[in-house]
Amino acid sequence: MNEAEIVVIGGGVSGLSSAYFLAKAGKNVVVVEKGMVGGEASGRNGGMISERTDEPALIPLALESVRLWTTLEDELGYPTEFIHQGRIQVAVSEEEMGDIFTERDHALHHGISVEQLDPSEISELIPGISGRTLGGLFFANGGHANPQRAVQAFAWAFQDRGGRLYQNTAVTGINVEDDRVTSVETTAGTIAADVVVATAGPQTTLLADMVGLHVPVAPARVEIIATAPLEPLFDIALVGNGLYGRQAARGNLLFGGGAHEWIDVGLTSEPAKPNTPLIRNIARRLAELLPAVADVPVIRSWAGIVEQAPDYMPIIDIPDTPSNYIIVTASAHGFGIAPATGKVVSDLVLQGKSNIDISGLTLNRFSHLTPDWRKKRGWVPAPEHP
Amino acid sequence: MESRPLVVVGAGVSGTAAAIEAARAGVQVTLIDENPVPTSLARLNVPQFFGQRFTDALRDKAAMMDRIAAANGALREAEEAGVDIQLGVCVWGAFRNSENSRILDGPQIGLADHERSSMMKYDRLIVATGSRDLSIGFAGWNLAGAMGANGAHSLMSRHQALSAQRIVILGSGNLGLSTAKMALDNGIEVAAILDVTPSVRGEKTLAAHLQSKGVDIYTSHTVKQAVGSNGDIESVVLVETDDNFEPVAGTEKVMSADTVCLAISLVPNIEILSLLDCDLNFKSHLGGYVPIHNDWMRTSVDTVFVAGDAAGFHDEMVLNREIARNQGRIAGIAAAESLGAINKSEARSLISEIGTGVPAVQPTEAHTIWKQWLNSLANAGGQDVIACQCEEVTRSEIIGLKPPRYLEWGSVQMSRRTLQTQLKDNPANPNQVKRLTRAGTGICQGRNCREQVALLLAEESNSDIADIPLSTYRPPLRPLPLNIMWPDDESEDVRNEWPKWFSPNNKVLG
Repeated sequence: MNEAEIVVIGGGVSGLSSAYFLAKAGKNVVVVEKGMVGGEASGRNGGMISERTDEPALIPLALESVRLWTTLEDELGYPTEFIHQGRIQVAVSEEEMGDIFTERDHALHHGISVEQLDPSEISELIPGISGRTLGGLFFANGGHANPQRAVQAFAWAFQDRGGRLYQNTAVTGINVEDDRVTSVETTAGTIAADVVVATAGPQTTLLADMVGLHVPVAPARVEIIATAPLEPLFDIALVGNGLYGRQAARGNLLFGGGAHEWIDVGLTSEPAKPNTPLIRNIARRLAELLPAVADVPVIRSWAGIVEQAPDYMPIIDIPDTPSNYIIVTASAHGFGIAPATGKVVSDLVLQGKSNIDISGLTLNRFSHLTPDWRKKRGWVPAPEHP
Repeated sequence: MESRPLVVVGAGVSGTAAAIEAARAGVQVTLIDENPVPTSLARLNVPQFFGQRFTDALRDKAAMMDRIAAANGALREAEEAGVDIQLGVCVWGAFRNSENSRILDGPQIGLADHERSSMMKYDRLIVATGSRDLSIGFAGWNLAGAMGANGAHSLMSRHQALSAQRIVILGSGNLGLSTAKMALDNGIEVAAILDVTPSVRGEKTLAAHLQSKGVDIYTSHTVKQAVGSNGDIESVVLVETDDNFEPVAGTEKVMSADTVCLAISLVPNIEILSLLDCDLNFKSHLGGYVPIHNDWMRTSVDTVFVAGDAAGFHDEMVLNREIARNQGRIAGIAAAESLGAINKSEARSLISEIGTGVPAVQPTEAHTIWKQWLNSLANAGGQDVIACQCEEVTRSEIIGLKPPRYLEWGSVQMSRRTLQTQLKDNPANPNQVKRLTRAGTGICQGRNCREQVALLLAEESNSDIADIPLSTYRPPLRPLPLNIMWPDDESEDVRNEWPKWFSPNNKVLG
């Protein structure tokens, strides 16, 4: 039988980062991916990287992650387009200005470097920005990267360290004996494993069902637009007017935001990811945010499927049973924190504990939830519509 | 939002015929065509490969509307039948409810004229979007003056705005031959027609006619390069090719020409069908990925019909436009029947008078000729030739899976990675190549390189181009400025209840 010390299920950024650090530590690792690496949310997100000042439980992980991002290209040997020029959040309404003050207080409380900006300072940092900004915050330690390139970088570097990557291979079963996972059934055969790392994104709940665990996440579809390339305007990650985004190395503006749609996913199939007319509303908000370039053509849009836990936060945990099944699900924070996630998983496998504080990310915070929690919250797909 | 019972996209031969039949059957029909397109798009070779060879007349939208209307006699017939004709309006999006998108208020298309965009609901849609030029790059094809046959046809016939003086035509099928004939009729000199095949591919009588007018036809020839200064083509170097499509040394000929016209083949415009998730199949004898449809031109999506080149293009259709017209008529009648305007037996009897809409002759496969052209151009001009003009990605950069030059990335690890190493991990996937090399991510939205990338992937993976998945289409299907895409009709609800990511209050985006 095919065997590995560790089988990672899911070739997204969390899985590949975990696999990379484990392979680097000399472990025999297999990654099983139902499609191609980064084919889902890991390669389709906005590429934002921040210290997550709004999520106290995530700050230790996020801070370590930014630190790792700064040397990641050299570490992996492949480009990620990481830019470490900060993150700016601007307010264009009184309500958003209120959020700015709250956010600033959070940051200061957690000892994170933050600078409050007035409209003229914002204009200096983001040429062409709306004259309607009321104020903003600058986080020097933020940045962004190219998700597709970064995921591929992890995948290649994993292979360079001897890791085996099985793409187009779906998991069809997980065998458990005496409260431990013994092997993973895949469309490419059975793989015996000492440890399984489940980084299955939207499929997390379906996968956990196989080992008798309830891991509550709900998948949702979200959208992003891309413009034609522009001359370099700003290299700071930008949040404002209900959008988040960046100017890519090539010069395209990539911005997302707006309403999400709850969906269901299958375990082995690729979920459809259509765009909707929402892309017009995103275009309008981008034109409002950057009126100086309102005539730049939109040339592309895409959608991605993310998963959300009930409190919008990641889960990184090892359950009591099966005791060798590591759960990693990121609630749409996955890309930015991926390098640290990989470290944590590697620590959990190698030492049984994490060197980074993940005490706020345990599974048992949802032990009170009943299996119909999605329905109760309305986090379910709309009824079939003609 | 406006709502129409039947929208026909494309006012060419098939779309106009569809609109007329449906209107005569009592359906209220809206016929939309994107021509004339804004010159800002035309300059980008979107949606047709104009190669900067259009005159200033193209700027005059009103005059162009008149010329387009005059060029298609059937449009007047459509107007008389009560069809609402909208020229200069593009369809940039098509949306319908499906498994993971359920909250639309019915199927709808995104429209835009040169100033603003809107959404339009439909009960039935007929996609008659025609075809576009197959582009395969040769050295110098990024100079002004390299264009496509479809683009040239359109500029000569519909727009009367082609500015070419002396033209070299690549391809001796009916597409190339008819382009040459039309050029002569428009007072444009034809310097040469050439093809990699050992004999003329198209109608022999048409070829003989052209030769009698002094046009030289070079079989077993390819282009080594187009040469020019100041960004414009001034001459073209041809070379003879052997049985393996290798250039024969010492056979180069320099032709003076300001225009080189790619007339190898046409590719069906299936973008809207792809967005609507109609089932598509690669059919080489129909020019690539085409929709599956029944005898009544209905696609796998009940509300969507197809007609003309968009349903599949083959060389016979260039000379025999009845094929496209018949398909259009059938689609128009079938759509009218599906809307209940006429009953099934009426429709059946109307359609039986038309015939099948399929070609009389079994068309031959197209992609062999695509491949032969790629091989000959690569052999004669090398692989350091740009394949994706927008992002300036060469064929060798695609084969080498190189990160874009602007990243200035070099590492031992990266140098070990190529398309070949990638193919060991994963079946050939144009979307992956696009992500890593950026070929196909530019402002032309991949129109001018997607077949080249697929051909290269087939070549490198030793497989058939039919096995290469379709590179994804996404909206907007045309480059659409933010301030045109902007929804004038945005509701107050959407405006005021725009969510901040998933989070409850006090959480931020990104």
